[in-house]
Parts: sequence; structure tokens; C-alpha cells
Amino acid sequence: MEVKTVLEGLLFLCGDEGLTMEQMQGTLETSREEVESALVQLKEEYDKETHGIELTRFGGIYKFVSKATVYPYAEKLFASTKMASLSQAAMETLAIIAYKQPITRAEIEEIRGVGCDMMIRKLMARSLIKESGRSDAPGKPFLYEITPEFMDAFKLESLKELPELPKEEEQGEEELFDEV
Amino acid sequence: MAFQITIEQFEGPLDLMLHLIKENKLDLFDLDMNVLTTQYLAYLDAMESLHLEIASEYLSELAGLIEYKSKKLLPREKVEISEEYEEDQREKLVQRLLEYQRFKEVSALLSRQYEDRQMLMGKPLSEETSKWIEASSELPLAGNPYDLIKAMQKVMRRQALLKPYETRMTIKELSLDERVVQMRKRLDGWSGKMSFEELCSDCTSLHMVIVTFLGVLDLIKLKAITYTIDEDDVIWIIKGDEYHGS
Repeated sequence: MEVKTVLEGLLFLCGDEGLTMEQMQGTLETSREEVESALVQLKEEYDKETHGIELTRFGGIYKFVSKATVYPYAEKLFASTKMASLSQAAMETLAIIAYKQPITRAEIEEIRGVGCDMMIRKLMARSLIKESGRSDAPGKPFLYEITPEFMDAFKLESLKELPELPKEEEQGEEELFDEV
Repeated sequence: MAFQITIEQFEGPLDLMLHLIKENKLDLFDLDMNVLTTQYLAYLDAMESLHLEIASEYLSELAGLIEYKSKKLLPREKVEISEEYEEDQREKLVQRLLEYQRFKEVSALLSRQYEDRQMLMGKPLSEETSKWIEASSELPLAGNPYDLIKAMQKVMRRQALLKPYETRMTIKELSLDERVVQMRKRLDGWSGKMSFEELCSDCTSLHMVIVTFLGVLDLIKLKAITYTIDEDDVIWIIKGDEYHGS
């Protein structure tokens, strides 16, 4: 059987969980290149308009998802497909952690100017962030960082794909004047 | 200047300050602390008059602003040092505002990305495969037959511990009197002999058999029935009057 065919079947079975390159390579006992080229072919095939699902890779995990164009119909079919929204406060907290990880709660609060205790707990409950050891600062506070679930939720392959942070003030007078 | 209040949700004092700076067209890089403080205070006052709760963070930032303002109003003796201090405080606040603004802007971008992702929906792992995963995700079994025996003994012990509870739960306590009434009813529509086994056919437990046997003894005592035992050790129940009749 063709590698591409098997991969399609396996990815279908795995659904939400998805597969990593290592899992696919190990299962098919073939070279990374072969798996990669099969995935490229699969992706091209499913990207065509004739298909309602597409192959994604967020945070190193490949999976099939329904296309965005299907969403309005899914909403209709399931009557109440509510988006699990994140508040502005949650977005800010996540952004700070994503760009500055690992980071302590106090450091996040310093930037946001508000207490973030509850927010951090909420985000942890949604597995978007996790504790990653402790800082050497007094009191040994917890450090936080983002999780693979965060990568998935924000369509990111790696942290490099994060949108660029707006430039800091020090980086050139001309820009400053443009901004103002 | 009249302060127009718009009920807007701010994410904190820094967010509010950024809003005020934009509203009043202040220059973030040459921040007029005076205007900012006045506006900030006016906003908090308006919130208070609307009986909105003001989070403590807003007040602590306000304290900073007021401190800065009051320091400036005081007559300066050492001009150089105090000016340096003022610059420093203002600079610090501007830095914080800028940094906050950066994250605020980027979080809007992330928010869009998050919404895009929500439009793509996956489906859960196939049921069959999830079963395989559970089975194979158990730790590899290591040990010798003795471990197995030990484990089995543990299971038995747990079972034994559970048993009294279970039986107590299922026993339907049937009193002797109730059973006798039941048996009399059955004997009413019966003529001739009935084996004890048959009488016990509706018994669901040993307890009930014993109650039935006691009931038989009771009925014999009341002379409602008599009994015989044949060579196969079968107890036969005979209705009293029919025995007399035969």
C-alpha cells in the first residue's frame, strides 16, 4: 500500500489527537522524507475545493479538521456550535506568557498592571499554559509557559510564527515620530 | 472640560491610561502628567458616582500619579535631584504604558488567529482506536509468578472484604410470621403431598430456606400440617385434615 494511503487512514482514525512526524515514521517504518512528501501530497489534495476537510500542522501535530468554509453549515446543523471564546484579559495574559516565557505571575502583573491570579488558574484549567518549574527570585515563584494546546488553539507551528511584537521605543527615533 | 463617560470595559489602570491618552490626544513620548492625572481622577470619580466598584489596582496607580503631581507642586530646594526623580517616574510610567500597549496590540492579532482556529473543527479519536490505546498504555507487566499470586490474594482479600456488605444489601429479611402466611396461602390451593423442596422453590437464598423450614415446624406445631420422610430422605408435607382423612 502507498504511504500516502496509509497515512490518510491513520490520520482519520486519530481525529483530534493527531499524529506527530515521529509516530508516522515509526509506524510506517520508512524515511522521514517519504512521510513528508506523502503529507505534502495529501495536503495539496485536501486543499482543493472539492474537499471539506484539510490537513493541518499546529505545534508539530498533523490532523484533519473541517475547513473554515464548512463552519457556517456546522453551526446550522448543530444549532449551537458556540465558539469557546477567550476574553481580552485572557488574550493579554497569554500573549505575555507566549512572548516572555518562562515568566512568573508577578512579572505578568507588572506588565498588565492588574492581578492575574485567577486568570492564570483559568488558563491552566484550559491547558493553555502550564507551570514550568520555579524562578530563583525570592519566594521561588512558579514559572509559566505555554502548552502544545496553546499552539493548536492559535494555529501555530512553532513560537517563531507568533506575530511580531510591535517595536520597542529604544529602537530608533524616526519610528517614534512616525508612530505619534 | 466636561468629562463624558462611556461605559467601556478596561483591562486595568494601564489600559485606562492608554485610552485617556488617546482620547485627549496626549503625546505618549512627551506625556503631560497633569492632564493624565486630572482625567484619570475624573474617570474614577465618574465610576464612583455610578456606584461601580473600582478595583484596587486603579487606586494604587492613582496614588502613583498623585504622588508625582504633589512632588511637583512642592517647592523644590534641590532642583536638579528632584527633576531627575520626576523624569524618572514619568519615564517609568511611559515605559510601562508602551510595553502594555505592545502586548495589547499583539493580543488582538492572536485573538484573530484564535477565532480562525475555532472555525476548523476536528473530530474525536475513533472509538475502537481509543480502546487500543488504553490497553497498550498500561505499564509493561514485569514480575514473576509469585507476584501474580500475591496480586491474586490481594484481589481475593478485597473480595472477601466486600462480600459481607454485598450480601447484607441483597438479603430481604423475611420474618417467620410472614413466611407462614405465605405458606398457608400456598397450601390452601393444594391437596395431597408436597415435598419440602417444592415448598422451597420460591426461595432465593439459604436464609429463606431456613425460614421456610422454621415455618414448617411452626405449622406442624399448630397441627396445620404433618410430615413424613421417605427412604430417599425427602421431606413430604401433608395437609393436616387430608392426613386425617386418609
